[in-house]
Amino acid sequence: MEKYILPEIPDYHTLPVYEQHGGYGALKKALTMKPEEIIDELKKSNLRGRGGACFPTGLKWSFMPKGTAIPKYLAVNGDESEPGTFKDRMIFELNPHQLIEGILIGCYAMGITAAYVYIRGEYGKWVTMLQKAVDDAYAKGYIGTGILGTEFSTHIYLHKGAGAYICGEESALMNSIEGGRGLPRIKPPFPAAFGLWGKPTTINNIETIANVPLILNKGWEWYSKIGAVKHPGPILVGISGHVTRPGVYEVPTGVLLTDLIDEYAGGMLDGKKLKALIPGGSSTMILRAEHVPGVTMDADSLKAAGSSVGTAGMIVMNEDTDLIRVITRIAKFYYHESCGQCTPCREGTGWLWKILKRFETGDASLADIDLLLDVANNIEGNTICALGDAAAWPVQSMIKRFREEFEKRVKPVQALAV
Amino acid sequence: MANVKVTINGKLIETDSTRTIIQAARENGISIPHFCWHEKLSTAGNCRICLVDVEKMPKLAIACMTNVAEGMVVNTKNERVVNAREAVMEFILINHPLDCPICDEAGECKLQDYAYKFSQGYSRFGDDKVHKNKRVEIGPRVMFDAERCISCSRCIRFCDEIAGVHQLQFVNRGDHTTIETFPGETLDNPYSMNVVDICPVGALTNKDFRFKSRVWEMSFTESICNGCARGCNIEIGVRNNGILRLTPRTNDDVNSNWMCDHGRLDTWKHVNAEDRITGPMVRKGGILVDVGWDEAMAKVAGELKLFNKNEIAFIGSAFASNEDNYVLARFAKEVLGSKHIDRMSHRIDGGDDALLIRADKTPNDTGAALVGIVPGEGGRDIEGIVQGIRDGHIKALYAIDDDIAQHPELEKVITKLEFFAVHASNANKSTRIADVVLASSTYAERSGTITNFQKRVQRLRPAVVTLERERALDGLTMSRLDKFAAPNDSWGKGPRRDSRASWRIVAAIGNIMGGKFKYMTAEDVFTDITHTVDAFKGLTYLKIGSKGALLQ
Repeated sequence: MEKYILPEIPDYHTLPVYEQHGGYGALKKALTMKPEEIIDELKKSNLRGRGGACFPTGLKWSFMPKGTAIPKYLAVNGDESEPGTFKDRMIFELNPHQLIEGILIGCYAMGITAAYVYIRGEYGKWVTMLQKAVDDAYAKGYIGTGILGTEFSTHIYLHKGAGAYICGEESALMNSIEGGRGLPRIKPPFPAAFGLWGKPTTINNIETIANVPLILNKGWEWYSKIGAVKHPGPILVGISGHVTRPGVYEVPTGVLLTDLIDEYAGGMLDGKKLKALIPGGSSTMILRAEHVPGVTMDADSLKAAGSSVGTAGMIVMNEDTDLIRVITRIAKFYYHESCGQCTPCREGTGWLWKILKRFETGDASLADIDLLLDVANNIEGNTICALGDAAAWPVQSMIKRFREEFEKRVKPVQALAV
Repeated sequence: MANVKVTINGKLIETDSTRTIIQAARENGISIPHFCWHEKLSTAGNCRICLVDVEKMPKLAIACMTNVAEGMVVNTKNERVVNAREAVMEFILINHPLDCPICDEAGECKLQDYAYKFSQGYSRFGDDKVHKNKRVEIGPRVMFDAERCISCSRCIRFCDEIAGVHQLQFVNRGDHTTIETFPGETLDNPYSMNVVDICPVGALTNKDFRFKSRVWEMSFTESICNGCARGCNIEIGVRNNGILRLTPRTNDDVNSNWMCDHGRLDTWKHVNAEDRITGPMVRKGGILVDVGWDEAMAKVAGELKLFNKNEIAFIGSAFASNEDNYVLARFAKEVLGSKHIDRMSHRIDGGDDALLIRADKTPNDTGAALVGIVPGEGGRDIEGIVQGIRDGHIKALYAIDDDIAQHPELEKVITKLEFFAVHASNANKSTRIADVVLASSTYAERSGTITNFQKRVQRLRPAVVTLERERALDGLTMSRLDKFAAPNDSWGKGPRRDSRASWRIVAAIGNIMGGKFKYMTAEDVFTDITHTVDAFKGLTYLKIGSKGALLQ
């Protein structure tokens, strides 16, 4: 299949090569359209966010107030910190101008004059790469005042995170850009009403924005026919774990997970058997190997399978994997990253990890399985942001689908000598 | 404005759409537990104890942040809510130290109270608790115990939003989250100790009060701070007849929920002090000698008789009550016929701020003036009295409840007086010079009223007993001893001082000299004031109540 997000063209990340292949054509086209026509095009294309929630992008853009003089902002989320997720990095590296073009189209469509790209602090090298592309685009008049001779002006600022997973949560991301502590905000008010500096703001994922120029270039009809009907388009799947060729693969949505492993990632490493699979980053619910066949990489199929597409960061685990160690490590991650604002997540994530440590060391009791589940249930749904849920789901799904793994690790009850 | 109808626990409530569920419930007598929410601060929504069930909402909603809407149906105590509340309590308690037996907050701790009301009563947590710093001097007057902190952010919001200084912040993440001052900062704003009151647990404690008493061994009396003309509403905490602390009492017309650190710390230590005047004294052979009240008062009356009415001056006090000053003014003008009466000013220009603190450092200047502590027609004011003493026209001076010898000009001439009588609660410059020292009760030992800068009359109530007070209850509230026969309480032990309210001393001397004062209680004096001073017309102690009443 042809690649649209990560085309296999040498030096595509440079401005001249990007322009040779029609780069910034979508922006030129957009500037001849009315903003509402662009949003309409996006709505009809059925593009859904690639950051994890699969929210329809056109609909999100339509929430922004129109015909107002107050400043509005676009924040593009490249914090990409979920274990198993490493796709946006490839866009910064291989196709930064398509991202920039998407940002500019979004700004035009929503009447925005400043966009912030938030990139995780660990991506120092990629910040430099994107900054280079932004500078080049400024030099050619794609960004700045009076873009391409029109009255449309906008600026793009890169903002480097400082190493907190929570800053990928959209409202914490806004606080972080404002210079505050990365604490999620209570919703409502929603960002479209009260976002950056209290002004209407749209937050989109990097990959989502990189899809926008495609839709303008080739039309919504073309786009909506790629992949899964209700969740169309190209999608970047990051495959890690026990496969022969881990990496980021651009595929149409709706590809079988088994095909992703066997055809794209070169099959299971050393021919071992699949044991478990996490389809969309560490917070998505784990699947047993026997439930993987027939499941495809799109929102509906994964939902039906009892998980979610998340960020399409697929973690593949073979028959030798110690799932207790896996879940303990995942729990430790969320414990470490909980912002500490809401009681259930602040206290509960640490408790989950402490109980799981006991399973890892063989000191747990059978009752600890139910305690673990209970603690996870008490966190889920009771916090300001979704980090609480993200910490609870892996634990809940691991117990639900691999209860025997826990039971095997319980401390044996000593028989009394009579 | 009631424009929406909502149902909370089956009760139909009319309220307005700007209210949150927690506010609407509270205004209608339904309490929803809360740690982080505070009526005077912005909403943080982080503690999650106020989760309630709202029909048609898939998840439980926080009552502090969810606005009411027409037709909303809220349940604050169904099984789902109870379970969530128990879960939140369990989460808070897993890392909370079992400090209750040594914690100052015990007895008035929200977490402790909720643990009884909303917790399962046992813990499923068998692992090690997270340990943090136990004794952090977060400010000169406040101690911080990081382990007890439940990260509600009330103190941070108080500093940002009320005190107006950004001194506190969260640092670290997850269950390692703690509170620190910003680099180079310390929690030293003039209102810093209010964080102790709003802290729902014992994380922030009053350094002055720490480890002094269990709160249930104290008795609390509603009173008014005497630190400045604001008159912040307070509670006086007493044990063994000694004051241990003051805390602010909510009055939205005066001080909201707050008081300044100066008022909290510096306005009552003299009540317990070693230098108290414990009874009347007369100077004999240059030395002040303890005498009985009859002798001291006879001495004053006898001396004053020796002078012409134009040779006697009176200095009232903006530290004394309306009642004290009123009786003094009547004594001066009606019994002795003197026109020379005034009071000292204790205004410090620039000594005020935009929140509570006033430039006038006395609690009752407004009231003292209204009840007659102003020079009569052709009478001398303070400067005139000083001049009169200097040139020998004023030979006798009668002053109450103010260390008048601190006045630099007066100090130079005061020894020229032939007779000087003073009411004082503590030894001071004036008592070292006076011929007669009459032991007056402090603001915390007498009933009475004071009038703040807004012309709001507020009640002082006795919180500490004197010998006199034991015989005439006059306004004393019931102690734990009275209510529960609890022996470990306030007034059972401790020193008894032979001091009296100034109005009572003046009235007694006045009666010796031919006056006809028939007051039995401070309230009798007040009733008289309402009959003779127009601004006080129609007021009673009952009408003043615990929140005060504005003068006309």
